[in-house]
Amino acid sequence: MIEVNERIEVASTPQAVWAILSDPSAVVECVEGAVLGDKQDDGSFNAKMAVKFGPAKISFNANVLVEYDEANQSGNVTARGKDGISGTKFKTTMHFKVEGQDAPPDNVMTAVPIKAECELNGRLAHLIESGANLVIKRMTTSFAEKLAERCGGAKTT
Amino acid sequence: MKVYERLSQAFKAEGTTNVFGMMGDGNMYWQYANSKNGIIMHEVRHEGVGLGMADGWARATRNPGVCTATCGPGTTQLATAFVTAARASSPVVAFCGEFPTSDDEYTQALDQAAFAHGCEAAFVRMGTADDADEAVRKAFYIARTQSRPVLLSVPMDLQQKEWDDDDPYVPSTAIIPKRTVTPHQSAIEQAADMLMKAKRPVILVGRGAQWAGAGDEIRKLAARTGALIATTLQAKNWLGDDEYHIGISGTYATKTAMNLLSESDVVVAVGASLNRYTTHEGLLYPEAKFIHIDPKAHVLLPRGRGADHYVQSDGKAGVAAIDAELAKRNFKQLGYRTGQVKEKLANAWEDRHEYKIDAGTLDPRPLCLALDDMIPDNISLFAGSGCTAGFTNIIFRKPRPIVMPGHFFGCIGQMMPAAVGSVIATGMKPAILMDGDASTMMHIGDFDTMVRYKVPLLIFCMNNECLGAEYYKLDAHDMAVETSCIPTADLGAVARAFGGRGALCRTVDEVKKATAEWLANPGPMIIDVRVSRSVVTLPYRRIHYGEDE
Repeated sequence: MIEVNERIEVASTPQAVWAILSDPSAVVECVEGAVLGDKQDDGSFNAKMAVKFGPAKISFNANVLVEYDEANQSGNVTARGKDGISGTKFKTTMHFKVEGQDAPPDNVMTAVPIKAECELNGRLAHLIESGANLVIKRMTTSFAEKLAERCGGAKTT
Repeated sequence: MKVYERLSQAFKAEGTTNVFGMMGDGNMYWQYANSKNGIIMHEVRHEGVGLGMADGWARATRNPGVCTATCGPGTTQLATAFVTAARASSPVVAFCGEFPTSDDEYTQALDQAAFAHGCEAAFVRMGTADDADEAVRKAFYIARTQSRPVLLSVPMDLQQKEWDDDDPYVPSTAIIPKRTVTPHQSAIEQAADMLMKAKRPVILVGRGAQWAGAGDEIRKLAARTGALIATTLQAKNWLGDDEYHIGISGTYATKTAMNLLSESDVVVAVGASLNRYTTHEGLLYPEAKFIHIDPKAHVLLPRGRGADHYVQSDGKAGVAAIDAELAKRNFKQLGYRTGQVKEKLANAWEDRHEYKIDAGTLDPRPLCLALDDMIPDNISLFAGSGCTAGFTNIIFRKPRPIVMPGHFFGCIGQMMPAAVGSVIATGMKPAILMDGDASTMMHIGDFDTMVRYKVPLLIFCMNNECLGAEYYKLDAHDMAVETSCIPTADLGAVARAFGGRGALCRTVDEVKKATAEWLANPGPMIIDVRVSRSVVTLPYRRIHYGEDE
């Protein structure tokens, strides 16, 4: 189980950040290698995601469900996927929340704490376990940077 | 004649010339008879090492290697080496004493059938004294036809019975038919159809192709189809002088190789098991169709799959037939064989990652480059299975009489025995072994065996004073790496204490000097090379750190 506990700080208003995070297609654009597919009857989306583990690329076919809590400006993301070649499977649950900052230092007006758990299964998963941990952390950093970029510049932690 | 004498005769008739192992009261009479029959005994300090040597003998010659252990505790020492030989598909016959049939409460009693089963070895028991011939023949028959280790269990008391049969022993070779598995024409035509549609073919060769002697045919087919030649780990460096040889396919591939292989549309696998490491769980060849050539009826691939097209054939005959079919169709193409690819391959082996080297140690990468360069190509190379294999298996590129990597069963410490067995099997030709400190220490007692038999093997112990695989895993998880660190003594001095030669080196120049001395006069020697932990092997960078190169 890979755990992610990150806090993204953005130099935009909470409203601007929420506007992006509440749009699944905008969120997916912030995830490197991800492409959003069709919306399903249950509200979830099909998606494709290519992840590089070292020089090898794993292409996941995934299903993503985002549930928003507009009142609290938070959301839960559940995703699961499988790579047809290596048989690697992943299952992720993620919770995020958009928090306004009082007296923000360095123009940081919004923080987005993210807690996620990602489980990899399949024969490859054991082999790349520790590497996958670092790859997911790098992906989180990349997501934060892209989110910040879309919001008009920011810093992340 | 006693049964133990007949058993010895039978082994000799099966072609046994050398036996590796340790004497005990369950095998001593048989060993005595062997000595009278001219069979050379190599007494080791650990029975498992004896089996490892027999495994090395088998891998080098493709003929059964023979080892021996006494009953019970002698036999249980064979465990790891048995599994390793089984995973290596090595034909090995282990003559093991067994407790007397008349004494169920014998101190060294053991259910050796259950033990063999747990160790993935076949089991043959001499149930009565009259079965001596049949038991030996069956053991060798299984070893030869199934290419696996066999535990031949011989009760001590039955060995002492009288043998009064004058019929000559009939060896297993007399009943095993010799024939080459030739391909079916329709299978060849289908393979040719697939190759004619391919723009970027790869010929992936394994030990089966080597054993079949398919080298010339593979070169010809590669030239005709414009294919890259890649090898499995076990066939490392084979056909390495081909200008479009890309090295190992799999975990030990360079980044350039991985990038080129991922563009392949057809892979012709010859005598290769296509295991999970060779194809990196299939990810190395995301778009490719596979043609699999192997003499077995069929080979099941990882995840319960089969190749897109299977050709049951001896490697040499199969590849020659495909090439002949393509020639008949006047087919020839450039494929991968362009100047652009050649240029990529020229720079494929550079490791551009820079590391700060720990004081008093050296960077193992220039060390391996220097050794591969200075050690002549008539000297064989053996590579251990530990973390340092990540340097050896990528950087050493020179084709050599034997290039034998380990990794069977994923255990450390098994390559020194295999190297010694191989060296003895091939007429005591000098060889080097690249291994780590934990592996070297595991069977350091049998450096004594190397000294006693004057085995011309130079062990380069790439000593980072830690359990390397665990060190880097712990590091990747931000855990205390110190828990995996074990300081070692000066192993060069240990080698000298055993009566061999040895040196402790902390610079590449020191290693080169010690190596030059060994090259001038090969013999048993250990060079303890202190290497920096800061340098991470390419496979570990990928696996443990998720890095690209």
